[in-house]
Amino acid sequence: MKAIQFNDKNAQRVYDEYIRRCQRRMRILSEKDEKDCLLEINSHIYEFIEANSGNNEMETLLNILERLGAPEETLKEVVALKKTKEAIRTLHPKHIAQSIFLNIGNGIFYIILSFLAVTVVLSPVMIILKLIYPENVGCFYGEKYFFFGYSSSAPNVNEVLGNWFIPVITAIGTALYFLVIFLLKLKNKNK
Amino acid sequence: MKSEFLKNWDTQLKKGLLPLYVLLALSNKECYGYELIQDLKLSYGIDVTEGTIYPLLIRLTKENLLTARWVEQPSGIPRKYYQIAEEGKKNLREMMKNIDIIFSKLKK
Repeated sequence: MKAIQFNDKNAQRVYDEYIRRCQRRMRILSEKDEKDCLLEINSHIYEFIEANSGNNEMETLLNILERLGAPEETLKEVVALKKTKEAIRTLHPKHIAQSIFLNIGNGIFYIILSFLAVTVVLSPVMIILKLIYPENVGCFYGEKYFFFGYSSSAPNVNEVLGNWFIPVITAIGTALYFLVIFLLKLKNKNK
Repeated sequence: MKSEFLKNWDTQLKKGLLPLYVLLALSNKECYGYELIQDLKLSYGIDVTEGTIYPLLIRLTKENLLTARWVEQPSGIPRKYYQIAEEGKKNLREMMKNIDIIFSKLKK
């Protein structure tokens, strides 16, 4: 990206700092998306300054930066939209998790999705715990008692899955992973 | 002088209608961000900031209502031109129909 050059050194410092703040906010995006966003922000600044070129440079810069707003706020929605698009395109677990995290403030749907995602992440953890503490991890069943997962002191109950716990939790984790992808796609199709 | 209530109502109304104004402005010609802001001001009396229009343009593009292309400039700082897409035209027609229905009912 070609940086805008200012005659006023202070204006240059303010501009450089604003661009740095934008870059920090966009770090989570792919290189292509980050470049696209940065070019667009830069273009907004440049066009405004060009249209008001007769005025004081610093004042004009401050006006456009005020109109653009704090990068942390203005870019919030843009970053979340671009990240979700990337997550759906790549199906990469890291991008899916980041997309859910960025959208968590956008309603109950994403809160549910985040719970499902956490469960997916916990699946391999449960498998490791099963291998280390086979007695304490499993599907426990007894009178008025049903528990799936880790229990430090299982009272008079039976662990019903045994070594089948590992394939069962793998299947649940995989199914939930695909459910998260499906729901994410569905939500963004309906938008 | 407008009351506080009327001012708020006016702001909310214009905010709600902003996607319609953007689609309407872009149905006439393709625009880059600054040009679109000036167009909205001149044609519809809407004063919208870059911080509002930028996320909206990205959202409308994501929803396939707009398309965008970068055009290199002699300054070395390219402009991103937005055009209305077929889906955008379809949605704009529906939105205008709804507006007509609302106004015809209000005038009864």
